[in-house]
Amino acid sequence: MNWITYAGPEIFYLGASLWFLLLSFAPGQKVVANGAHRREYLSAMLLASIGVLVCLASVHAQGWLFVRSYSVDIFSQVFKTLLALGLFLIVCICDRMDDVDDNRHNEFYFLLFTCTLALMLLVSAEHLLSIYLCLELSSYSLYILVGLRKRRSLGLEAAIKYFLIGSFASAAMLFGMALLYSACGTGYLADMAKTLPRILDSPAVMIGLLFTLGGFFFKLAVFPFHSWAPDTYQGGSNQVAAYIATASKVAAIAIILRVVASTAHDSAYLARVLVILSVVSMTLGNLAAIAQKDLKRLLAFSTIAHSGYILIGILVLDSAGYAATIFYALALLAMKFTAFMVVVEVAPDGRNLQIEELAGLHKRSPILALALLTALFSLAGIPPTVGFTGKFLIFTAAIQKGYVALVIFAMLNVVISLYYYLLVIKAAYLLEPAQEMPPLVVSFPKKLLAGLSIAVILFAGFCPYWFIQIAQAAAQPLIWGR
Amino acid sequence: MHMEPASFPFLSAILLSCIAGMFTILFIPEEKHRLIKQVSAVFSGICLLLTLYVFFAFNRRVGGMQFVENIPWIPSLGISYFNGVDGFSLPNLLLTGIVFFTGVLTMWELENRVKEYFALYFVLVAGVFGLFMSLDLFFIFVWYDVSLFPMYLLIAIWGTTRKEYGAMKLTLYLLAGSSLILPAIIFLWAKSGINTFSFVSLMHPGLFSPADQKFAFLLLFLGFGILAAVWPMHTWSPDGHVAAPHGVSMVHAGVLMKIGAFGVLRVAIMLCPLGWIYWAKLMAVLAVIGIIYGALVGLRQTDLKYVIGYSSVSHMGVVGLGLSTVTVEGLNGAVFQMFAHGIMTALLFSSVGYIYDRTHTKAIPELGGLSRIMPVASAFFILAALAGIGLPGLANFWGELLVFLAAFKVYPLFGVIAVVTLVVTALFMLRVVQKAFYGPQNPHFAGLKDLSPWLGTPRAILAAVLLILGLYPSLLFNVIRTASVPFMHGLPR
Repeated sequence: MNWITYAGPEIFYLGASLWFLLLSFAPGQKVVANGAHRREYLSAMLLASIGVLVCLASVHAQGWLFVRSYSVDIFSQVFKTLLALGLFLIVCICDRMDDVDDNRHNEFYFLLFTCTLALMLLVSAEHLLSIYLCLELSSYSLYILVGLRKRRSLGLEAAIKYFLIGSFASAAMLFGMALLYSACGTGYLADMAKTLPRILDSPAVMIGLLFTLGGFFFKLAVFPFHSWAPDTYQGGSNQVAAYIATASKVAAIAIILRVVASTAHDSAYLARVLVILSVVSMTLGNLAAIAQKDLKRLLAFSTIAHSGYILIGILVLDSAGYAATIFYALALLAMKFTAFMVVVEVAPDGRNLQIEELAGLHKRSPILALALLTALFSLAGIPPTVGFTGKFLIFTAAIQKGYVALVIFAMLNVVISLYYYLLVIKAAYLLEPAQEMPPLVVSFPKKLLAGLSIAVILFAGFCPYWFIQIAQAAAQPLIWGR
Repeated sequence: MHMEPASFPFLSAILLSCIAGMFTILFIPEEKHRLIKQVSAVFSGICLLLTLYVFFAFNRRVGGMQFVENIPWIPSLGISYFNGVDGFSLPNLLLTGIVFFTGVLTMWELENRVKEYFALYFVLVAGVFGLFMSLDLFFIFVWYDVSLFPMYLLIAIWGTTRKEYGAMKLTLYLLAGSSLILPAIIFLWAKSGINTFSFVSLMHPGLFSPADQKFAFLLLFLGFGILAAVWPMHTWSPDGHVAAPHGVSMVHAGVLMKIGAFGVLRVAIMLCPLGWIYWAKLMAVLAVIGIIYGALVGLRQTDLKYVIGYSSVSHMGVVGLGLSTVTVEGLNGAVFQMFAHGIMTALLFSSVGYIYDRTHTKAIPELGGLSRIMPVASAFFILAALAGIGLPGLANFWGELLVFLAAFKVYPLFGVIAVVTLVVTALFMLRVVQKAFYGPQNPHFAGLKDLSPWLGTPRAILAAVLLILGLYPSLLFNVIRTASVPFMHGLPR
C-alpha cells in the first residue's frame, strides 16, 4: 500500500514503458500510407494523459524509500507533475512522426517513457549513487532517441557527439562524487549537508562539488558543458529536440536545486563560480544565436542563454531564489514547448526548419504564427508573458541579495536576445515566400493546443500568483533539508 | 497624500474597453475592413469619452490621487493592481485618449492587413493607458513593455522609409531602456525593506538613503530618458518616427515619448527626490544639448517627417529642461509642454500622412505650392508648425514660456541659449513651410483632392485642442498644479 502511495508515478511509468517494450516484440506492422502508427500513437497518448493524472493524484505524498536514499516530497512531486505534463505535450506532437524509422515507433515511445521514468527518479534521488544511476538511465535513453532518425547521417552524428560529451561529463561527475564521498564519508545528501559546511572551503571539496555539478550542467547546457546542444537539437528529430529542450531541462533544474540546496549553504565561493558560469553562458548563448539560420539551432543557443538566467536563481542560495527557479522551470516548459510545436507543425515531414522557411506563416497559419510570436516574446522576457514573470522573480531574489550588477548585465543580455527573436518574428510576419505556398494543414486538436499554449503563457504571466504559491511550497523541502 | 477611492472603476473601464476592442477586432473576418474600422472607432471613442469624463470629474480643489482602485495581485511580493490619477498623469491620460481616437480616424484609408493593424494598435494603446494610470512599479514596468512590443510589428509591416531598420532600432533602444528600469525598480523594492511595489508607499520621505536615491535615479533617468529621446539616446526616435505609419507616428511621437518623460517624473523624480536634486545639472545640460542639436539637425533634413522627428527631439529637450529646474513652474511647464507637444506632433504627422498618401513623397523640394492644391490639409500642417515654434495663442506657447521662465531663474545661461536657438530655428521652420506649401506648384500634384470632411475630423479635433488650450491654459494648469505644488512643498531641502 505504501509503495503505491509513495511511488505511484514511477510504477505507472515503469509499466507504460514495459508495455511499449512488449509491443516492440510484436511482429512488425505493415506500413500503411496514412494512419500507419495510429495504434502506437493512441496508446502513447492514453498512457501519457493517465500519467499526468497519476502524478496529480500523488502530489501530496510524502515519505522516504530505500533507506532514505529516495525522498518523496512536495518538491519532487511538483517536478514529477511537470515532467509528466512535458511528456504528454511531446506525445501530443508525435502524431506525424515521418522522420522516425517506420518500424521503430514502439521503441521510440519505449525510450521516451523510460527517459521520463529516469528523470522522475532523478528528482527524488537523495544519494549520490542513485543520482548517478538515474542520470545515466535518462542520458542513455536520449542518446538512442537522438539516433532514431530517418535522416540517418544527421541523427547518428548528433547521437555520437551527444554521447561523447555526455560520457565525458559523467566521468567528471563520478570523479567529483568520489571526492565528495571521501571528504564526507557518506553519499546521502542529507548527511552531507551536516558535514559539508565546515569543510566546504577546502579545495578538494569545492572541486568535488563543482565536478559533481558539472554532470548536471551538462544536462542543463551550461558553459562549459554546452557544446552538444546545437548539434543535438539539429541532428535529432524535431520531437526529440523538443523533449530535450523541455522535460530534460526541467529535471536538470530540479536536481541542481536539490544538490546545491543541501550542500552549498551560503558558500560565497560557489556563488562566485556560478556567477561566472552564468554570465558566460548567457552571453555566449545569445551572441552565438544571432548568427543561426536553423531555427532549432537558434533555440538551442537560446537554451544555453536561459541556463545562464536560471543559474542566477540558483546562486542566490535562498528560498526566494529556489522558488523563482522552480517557477522558471514551469515557464521554460510552456514557452519552449510552444516554440517547438510550431517547428514540428511547420515542418510536417520532419526536416530541419530554416528560419527563412517561416516566410508567410502569418498567412499560412495565423494561429501558429501567433503561437510563435507569443513563445518568442516569452523567451525574450517581454511582459505580460510567463517568461517575463519568471525573470522578474529571479531578478528580485538576486537583487535582494545584492547582485544588482549581475541583474543589469542579464537585462542587457535580454536586449541582445530580443534581436534574434525579432529576426524570427520578422520572418514569420513580414517576409513573403519566394513562391506562393499553400496554407498549412493544422488539425483542430493542434489548433486547440496552440491556443491553449498561448493562453497559458499569457495567463501565467499576468496572473501568476497561484503558480508562485506552488513554487514557494515546492521550495520548502529544500530549506527544511538543512 | 490624499487618496480618493473610485465610486466606479473608470480607469479599469478605459483599459477594458481597449482590450475588449482588441478581442472584438480579432473575431471579425479579415475581409470586412469597413466593419473593423468602425468597431475601432467606436471603442476608441468610448475610451476618449471615459478619459474626458475622468478629466472633468477630477476634483481640482482637493487634488491628490483620485479614482483610486487597489486589488492585491501578488501579495508575497507586495504587488497590487493599483490605479489612480493625479495632476501629473491626468493630462497624459487625456492626451492618450485624444491621440488614440484621432489616430484611428487618421488610418481610415488603410487597406493592407487591416485587422492585425488595429488589433496591435489597441494593444499598444492599452499599454500606454495602463502606464499613465498605474501606481504600482511592477505594473508600470509591465505596461511600459506592453506598449513597446507591438511597435516593432506596427512599424515593420505598415511603415515606409527604411522600415525594418527603424523598427529594429526603436525596439532595441527602448528595450535597452527597460533593461535599466527593471533593476532600478527592484532595487528600490529591496532597499525599502517594506516589501511593496506600491508607488504611494514608496514615496514616503526618508525611506531611501541619499546614496541609494542617486544610484536609482541615474538608472531610471537613463532608462526612461531613452524613451523621452534625451540626447544622446535620441537616435532611435527620428528613424522610428519616419519609418512608422502615420497613425503609429502619432501615438509614437505624441504619446510614447511622453511615457519616457512621465516615467522620469513619476518614478525617478518623485521616488528619488534627492537623486533628482543631485543630478539636475546633468539633466539640464543634456536637455539643452538636445534642444540645440534637434533644432539644428532638423534644419538640414529634406524629408518632411525627419524635420518633425528632429523637432520632437528639440521639444522634448524643453520638457527635460523644465524637469531639471526643480521648481514648481518648471514642473508645470514641463507637463503642459508634454501635453501640447503631443497634440501638436500628432497633428503634424496626421497632416503629413494625408499629404503623403496622395503625393507619395515626403521630400520637401518635390512638394511646393501645396497650399493651393490642398488648402485645408496644408492649413492644419501650418497651424501645427506655428504651434511648434511657440506662437502665442496656441498651446505650446504656455508650456515653453513657463519652462523658460523657470530656466532663466535657475540656469540663466542655459535659458538664454535655449531661447535663442528656438527663435533662430523658428525662422528656418517657416522656410520649410514656405518651401513645401507655398512657392511654385509641382504640376504632378495638380489633380489631387483636398481633405474630405470625414478625414478632416481628426485633424480638426487636434487643431481645436491646440487653440482651446492656447486661449485658456488654466484648464490644464489647474489640474497640474494640484500635483506639482504639494510635491515641491514636501521636497526635502
